[in-house]
Amino acid sequence: MLITCPHCGPRDISEFAYQGEGGRTRPDPASTDLEAWNAYVYQRLNTAGAHDEIWQHAGGCRSHLAVVRDTLTHEIASVRFAREHGAPAHGRRKPGARK
Amino acid sequence: MVEQQSPLEPVFRPGSHGNFADGVGVTLSEIAPCSIIQLAAWPGEEKKLMVVIGSVTGLKLADGAGAGASSDRYSAFGFAPGKFLVIDASEGLATTLAAKVAPAVGTVTDLSHGRIAIRIEGAKAEWVLGKLFAIDLALAAFPLGSGISTTHHDIFTLMQRSGPQRFDLYVFRSFARSFWKMLCHAADEVGYEVR
Amino acid sequence: MSSRRTAAGGRIDRLRTIRFTFDGRAYAGFQGDTLASALLANGVSLLARSFKYHRPRGVLTSGIDEPNALVTVLRGDIREPNIPATMVEIYDGLVAVSQNRFPSLAYDVSAINQLGGKFISAGFYYKTFMGPVVGPLKGTRFWMLCEKVIRRAAGLGRAGLAPDPARYERMNAFCDVLVVGSGPAGLAAAREAAASGARVILTELDPQFGGSANWSGETIDGEPSKAWASDIVGELRDHDNVRLLKRTTVWGYYDGNTLAAIERVGDHKDAPAKGAPRHRHWTIRAKNVVLATGAFERPLVFPGNDRPGVMMASAAQRYANLYGVLPGEKIAIFTNNDSAYRAAVALNKAGATIAAIVDVRPEISEDCRALARQCGAELLVGHAVVGTAGGKKLTGIKVAQFAIAAGALPSGGHNIETDCLLMSGGWSPTIHLASQAGARPLWNEALQAFLPPEAGQGWIGAGAFNGTFSTADAIAEGFAAGRAALDLPRVEPGTPHVEPAPLDPRPAPVFEIRAKGKAFVDFQHDVTADDVRLAHLEGFVSVEHLKRYTTLGMATDQGKGSNVPGLAIMAEAVGKPIPEVGTTRFRPPYAPVSVGALAAERFGDLKPERLTPMHDWHLENGATMYSAGLWFRPMIYGEAGETIEQAYVREARTTRETAGIVDVSTLGKIAVQGPDAAEFLDRVYSNVFSTLAVGKARYGLMLREDGLVFDDGTTWRLGEHDFLMTTTTANAGKVMQHLEYFLDVVWPELKVHLTSVTDQWAGAAIGGPKAREILASCVTGTRVDNEVLPFMGIVHGEISGAPVMICRLSFSGEMAFEVYSGAGHGTHVWEALVEAGKPCGMVPYGLEALGTMRIEKGHVTGAEIDGRTSARDLHLGWMLSKKKPFIGSAMMDREGIVAPGRLELVGLISLDNRPLAGGSHVVMEAYPENPHGSLGHITAACFSPALGKYIALALVSGGKARHGSRAHVSDPLRGRFGPVEIVSHHFFDPEGKRMHG
Repeated sequence: MLITCPHCGPRDISEFAYQGEGGRTRPDPASTDLEAWNAYVYQRLNTAGAHDEIWQHAGGCRSHLAVVRDTLTHEIASVRFAREHGAPAHGRRKPGARK
Repeated sequence: MVEQQSPLEPVFRPGSHGNFADGVGVTLSEIAPCSIIQLAAWPGEEKKLMVVIGSVTGLKLADGAGAGASSDRYSAFGFAPGKFLVIDASEGLATTLAAKVAPAVGTVTDLSHGRIAIRIEGAKAEWVLGKLFAIDLALAAFPLGSGISTTHHDIFTLMQRSGPQRFDLYVFRSFARSFWKMLCHAADEVGYEVR
Repeated sequence: MSSRRTAAGGRIDRLRTIRFTFDGRAYAGFQGDTLASALLANGVSLLARSFKYHRPRGVLTSGIDEPNALVTVLRGDIREPNIPATMVEIYDGLVAVSQNRFPSLAYDVSAINQLGGKFISAGFYYKTFMGPVVGPLKGTRFWMLCEKVIRRAAGLGRAGLAPDPARYERMNAFCDVLVVGSGPAGLAAAREAAASGARVILTELDPQFGGSANWSGETIDGEPSKAWASDIVGELRDHDNVRLLKRTTVWGYYDGNTLAAIERVGDHKDAPAKGAPRHRHWTIRAKNVVLATGAFERPLVFPGNDRPGVMMASAAQRYANLYGVLPGEKIAIFTNNDSAYRAAVALNKAGATIAAIVDVRPEISEDCRALARQCGAELLVGHAVVGTAGGKKLTGIKVAQFAIAAGALPSGGHNIETDCLLMSGGWSPTIHLASQAGARPLWNEALQAFLPPEAGQGWIGAGAFNGTFSTADAIAEGFAAGRAALDLPRVEPGTPHVEPAPLDPRPAPVFEIRAKGKAFVDFQHDVTADDVRLAHLEGFVSVEHLKRYTTLGMATDQGKGSNVPGLAIMAEAVGKPIPEVGTTRFRPPYAPVSVGALAAERFGDLKPERLTPMHDWHLENGATMYSAGLWFRPMIYGEAGETIEQAYVREARTTRETAGIVDVSTLGKIAVQGPDAAEFLDRVYSNVFSTLAVGKARYGLMLREDGLVFDDGTTWRLGEHDFLMTTTTANAGKVMQHLEYFLDVVWPELKVHLTSVTDQWAGAAIGGPKAREILASCVTGTRVDNEVLPFMGIVHGEISGAPVMICRLSFSGEMAFEVYSGAGHGTHVWEALVEAGKPCGMVPYGLEALGTMRIEKGHVTGAEIDGRTSARDLHLGWMLSKKKPFIGSAMMDREGIVAPGRLELVGLISLDNRPLAGGSHVVMEAYPENPHGSLGHITAACFSPALGKYIALALVSGGKARHGSRAHVSDPLRGRFGPVEIVSHHFFDPEGKRMHG
């Protein structure tokens, strides 16, 4: 499998480290809403199909990438820098909400 | 100033090795002593950092990921978004750069002791490196002066193409001896000279 | 040589005689022969014994699909079993032996298995090993005893135990077009793609390029096909942009057009070239792939079809035209299609007599009749072979009338004397790689074969792979594929003129001739047509189940020849058409791959390892090293006659009495730089760092998001925006990733840069009552007294001319300092410190003494921070700031994490003066025979020189509340049970007077 890193170009899968499901919302750091935290830390969509993922180009530029990958075919629809797009951040998606 | 000790010392054997009966395919050497400095810009400040690199080293870096250049004394290339490696054939570059890079532009990190610079040069350099790295080393894909970051097994490596048949590799010091052994092993087939 | 060798022809070098042995007998062949062709030339027909029944077997094919003639190749002590003799190129001194026979190939006692044929039919193992009660033994156990005997009787070659000295390596390649297969289609594709300047890789699994062009005997545009092929290869060789890989099998097709191939670089030579590998593994990343992998001829299934002397028709043609070898003198042909007629003519031309051509079809074309006449064969259409005669060698066949609808007529039939029967059951395109790439094959009724579907990821098919069996059309397809792979505009290819004209590629839909006797479908696994039907009778309907139950297609040849006949028989039994029964999906590898090639250089001396700057000093000074992850670290610096315990006790005692020095360079070190560095550290550490003064260090604790402890270490503030974080050795990489994740993904607004500087610094920790005195005697440029360098203070100075950074912090509990210098100065500074310590008797100490002193102090490491413990479990609750949120702060007070009865850190003292061991359980009751009711476990143990006792740290339920009480340790594996006292984990100097001085 190859992932096309926006900085480094297409690289072998062995250079990348999977860093979990993307598109999750990290609750406000000061929040004590345990349900929200529980959803963020433990709940996963586990999609069969187009799946938001975070990969780190650990054996390359070390950027985190927001990848949309089809879990049925391994086809990668898009790769972007996570720091700019679609990564878990405060208030992006309601905790536990389905897409 | 106390001289830096090379981690390659016990395994660095100058001379020709491997299958060199019909000439050597590559030459391997360590570039030392030198300054190896990482410069990292805050988002949006990359241009200013490149200006600093230019003013200190005289190297003009093109825009675009991995762009780099080298002269007799200096080398510089991008290896990650906003990050550059600058190499000087003599020591003390960190101090010079630290004075020129404003905190609002980015940071300077001295890696002169932490990374080892290994040079591989020759007609078979691409072939030998192909054994270690899943990187397209063809000139068109990896142009002159440009740099990349990649990995051989667990060994993180920065690599710059400093000539059509010449590559400079920067690896973590603790891995240097292992890496050197692997490189020599890979070069056995084509014959190599350690210089 | 023998009469089996033709007078001329073939691609062998008749001037170069090669000598080799097979089963100890010396033979000669020619350069260019395979083991199979050379043995056939010597009249050897018996090459192997079959898997289950130990039936005599000869050579069936001429290539990678060979199921019968598997041999073991010996090189000194190295045995390489299960290599098809058809793939072994002979070289002077080759030693090959047959397999699965005792005492010899000719007289194999296990051949008696044939008589018990029913006994080891399909599903034998599943049925047998769940047997009934036999005497005193439970059924299954009884059969377990038998298993060893049975397994020896049924099997392949034996692997060797000697270490393999051969070199293996891996190679990465990139190209615009990878062409797999160098037959006419592949060559045409490669030529067309190369002409445009694109980067092309052409692979061929045989030792020469050209595929069928080497042996078909055709002419292409007036030129012999052999010459046509070598012209193109020569042309390709002149291109800089083309890489030609022969003896290379592409065995895996993975996502993103990544293909795996193995190149047999040295197998055909007695010794590899200097520095050259035996096998080179290629990972090829291709923008586009042209699959021109050809097709395999299928066997026909009839009784006795496995007798030595029965062979594939195309294989015989290859032996005659490629090697100048006749597999028999008086040859009979059995076919359901036209292609075998060409083979008959080729063999006749080469000098063999063609006794008969038996064709199941009631009618054949006039072309075929002419070919039969041409080779003087008796033509028996509407007939089938219903049996074979002979022992270890074919002597004759039995032929009967045959009708496609009704089958063979039970009565009648006549015998034909022959020493070689060539069969052809039609052709199966080699679609393995396309199937691996995810394409579901489509059944083609006319060709009676599975064809590749529409191209999936980045590949285009050409030639016989597509079911295009005419050479002219294959070349045209290859041409088009070579252009399409590069998105070049289509042009009319102009079909070449190939002679002779192609025959009809459509076979009759006949796979099996049912008659009395064992008819083999999968030759290598001894699966018969009856086994397939038995599986169906026993309820196996799915083709995947059929495969596993009968093991059809699961041998080392992966059913290259047997899959389709097996399916056809299954389909007939089920009463469904073949496409409805479906086929199994092919998975990598296409052909066996040496494990050495996959492991390549990553073993032994060439495994990556990390060395500290002082590594060589440690070795020179008597250290016993051990590996900690990838790092190598001193365990002890043992003196003559010392045990490990004596050595570490001496080292720890001397350190507490005077001073000791230890290499701490392996600690993870991360430069945290930028205006938001302090804010960032406040978020990632459980305690506060923004209040830390420049020039000071602080111990920090990190939690994971789930509220459990992640890592600990000290972080030094070197400047307003400049911190040096240290992590545990084991977690350095994980902490770095964790921090990078938060910075990149969660808090991209923070201006912080993280850089691994582990390797930038050499670290030496010196501790003990004399440590300050020693340091003071060698440091210049700074004082190191309490005033300038208080606990957790940092100073800069020089030691012996090298710049150093010194932080006063203590892991040992002694007055201690960590001296950091540039890694390239590490040994220089270390030696200066050692020299300065000599007057007071300072010792270097290893990880064992380090561990001992930290256990005495009750400091935690990875053994206690095991991913399940909370800060409070480790009595580090005081480090959880209430003033700010941090990673893990929201989850750390969850019910389960603060529940009573959790395992907490305690100390244990052995009350029977015997050693304690990590992993032992702590139990209440003194019941060694039946230890139960575990309260927890020991995480680390040692002999404490400071206490004069064996002590341990443990995680015990109830923790502090049990201080002063008694319990027992239980370690049944090591036979240890004994009383302990539960105490505080601060065994030694709990107030910390020593380190604060």
